[in-house]
Amino acid sequence: MNHKRVHCYTGWQIFGLTLLRVLIGWHFLYEGLIKIYTPGWSANPYLSGALGPLAPLFKNIAHSKIMLPVVDILNEWGLVMIGLSLFIGFLTKPAKLFGILLLLFYYLAYPPFSGLVANTWVEGNYWIVNKNLIEMAALFVLYLFPTSQITGLERFFQGEDAFIDKV
Amino acid sequence: MKKNNILRRDFLKGLSTLPFLGWFAFGFKDNITREITKKQPDYHEILRIKQLDSPKEKLIPSAAFNGKQLRFGLVGNGWRGEQLLHTLSYAHPETIEKNTSNGKLSGHFQQFVDNEDVNVEFAGVCDTFKVYADRGAAFQSLKHSTPPIRIYKNYREMIADHTIDAILIATPDHTHAQIAIDAAKAGKHIYLEKPMTHTIEEAVELRNVIKDTGVVFQLGHENRQQMSFKIGREMYRKGVLGDVTLVRTNTHRNSPDGAWIRNRPFEDLANEESIDWKEFLGKAEWQPFDKRKYFNWQRYSQFGTSITGNNFSHQYDCINQVLNLGIPESVVAIGGQHYYKGHGDIPDVLNAVFHYPDRGLAIIYDASLKHGIYRPSQILGSEARMDIDREIRIFKDNGSKRYKNIETHPGVPIYHYEANKDVDAFTSATAQAYIAGGYGPTYIDGKVIDATYLHLKEWFDAIRTGARTSCNIDVGFEEAVTFNLANLAYCHKQTVTWDKMNEKAIIG
Repeated sequence: MNHKRVHCYTGWQIFGLTLLRVLIGWHFLYEGLIKIYTPGWSANPYLSGALGPLAPLFKNIAHSKIMLPVVDILNEWGLVMIGLSLFIGFLTKPAKLFGILLLLFYYLAYPPFSGLVANTWVEGNYWIVNKNLIEMAALFVLYLFPTSQITGLERFFQGEDAFIDKV
Repeated sequence: MKKNNILRRDFLKGLSTLPFLGWFAFGFKDNITREITKKQPDYHEILRIKQLDSPKEKLIPSAAFNGKQLRFGLVGNGWRGEQLLHTLSYAHPETIEKNTSNGKLSGHFQQFVDNEDVNVEFAGVCDTFKVYADRGAAFQSLKHSTPPIRIYKNYREMIADHTIDAILIATPDHTHAQIAIDAAKAGKHIYLEKPMTHTIEEAVELRNVIKDTGVVFQLGHENRQQMSFKIGREMYRKGVLGDVTLVRTNTHRNSPDGAWIRNRPFEDLANEESIDWKEFLGKAEWQPFDKRKYFNWQRYSQFGTSITGNNFSHQYDCINQVLNLGIPESVVAIGGQHYYKGHGDIPDVLNAVFHYPDRGLAIIYDASLKHGIYRPSQILGSEARMDIDREIRIFKDNGSKRYKNIETHPGVPIYHYEANKDVDAFTSATAQAYIAGGYGPTYIDGKVIDATYLHLKEWFDAIRTGARTSCNIDVGFEEAVTFNLANLAYCHKQTVTWDKMNEKAIIG
């Protein structure tokens, strides 16, 4: 028998989780679109200014004539696709995983650890935990508590059994 | 029946986030245009100028192969001489080896291989230190095979050689004038390292000889090739700064090395046999051999030109390039040697003011050899202040009429020119200040190119085509007189005035 896990959410839980999903989707979508629309945008300055133990890796990418354009495209369109996906609730499982991966790269490029040179890209005070890490954790929570089958387009791709809000 | 109702309700729930996507899409277009124009402001509008021509400058194709190969000699193969040779794609085999890893040259030297060939041959060298002369002769071309390089006993032998077309002079300051004058009279074209001369009288004589002989002359202020100063000049002329009243220049260094107390390579091999001390002294009065004087001549006013000649001359020429000021009417200078004592008479604290009543402005020069925080030159105008070195930052003045309607935040410039930063890392403080000052690489026609290379190329092209060089004898004369006026003011502790008619300094 094919057991499909069905989540039991209250109305408010659906609202809260969907809100979180849409906010993160909005964030990714905007970040991606503004990069696409800004003429001459490149990840080069960001990567060149990388800090921490993995900085040489990021700087190599920045200087590589082959890798930099790939990274630029992946960032621009990756952010847009993940954002759209979360927003409308379609193919969100891979979107959340790729979102966590992207945020992990951003986190590692500018890790918030003491002893590093002052980070001019950042406002606020962070130690180990910064907004990238929190957003990664939020995506992880969304992965564990999906809502796209309820308030997203995935609702239409599940077959008759899934048109159930409550067990 | 029931199933249909459920489907309709469920249908709506699945689309619940789409209206918000619609809201995003509508608001996005306005927002993005606003955001992007905020990040990329139209500088022509902000600065109220129609267009900026300088950044559009194209690299002039070299005249290198329009005629025969030019043979040049180097007089003075110290640290600057070797740098000039590197720029012309020559290097010592040891240097090449040290800078090659995995069969590849380091970026710094690879650029000298990649630069357009100027079709010259390094034909001969002379130096008062035998070790430096021998090193020079051992240099190899990075681009092609190297015919033997001749070592001349002194510069007189070199300029007597009719197969030499041009000479580079990188000797201590007190011998610049004599060597250049003799070389010009021998018909050799001249690239003379800054500062031009040790005294005003020498500057007058050299200027006259260059004009009479008509040889092609270039003074080693490579900032003339730096894009930022070209843009700065254009902006000034287009009224971006308004009326300029003060120009602030400075020297900030904080180490014995910065105060020209330096250990030189191969010093331990220097003695009365390996150094032609009489030749080094030139016109200076006879004194016994002193290794310290030989290697750190900058610290002695009889050989060097003080902090003004060493440093201020750089910044003066940059400012002169931007504002076209010429020679001031009067100069005051005061200071002293308080920290680095017992080794020459160069001051380590110095202030000088250069007054230009006909332009309604003054240049101020502050120098400290015990404070090293770098600061660019600043041009203070009635509409805005321009901070300028390899970069440009323009700050609106509160009393500005021209920029009345431009919104600004404190400390944020209304215009920022930042040349491409694709340069190798440099380590020492003086080297970093050198690059920041605009004397290293420049960004032109979409490429990052060493400014000294462009400066030398311009000189070689001028030899072939008869074009004018950008740091010619006239601006060189202005440089030499201006900083020497300050040196006289410092020495005599009096105001010094420039007698334009008689081309003399009036002390007191």
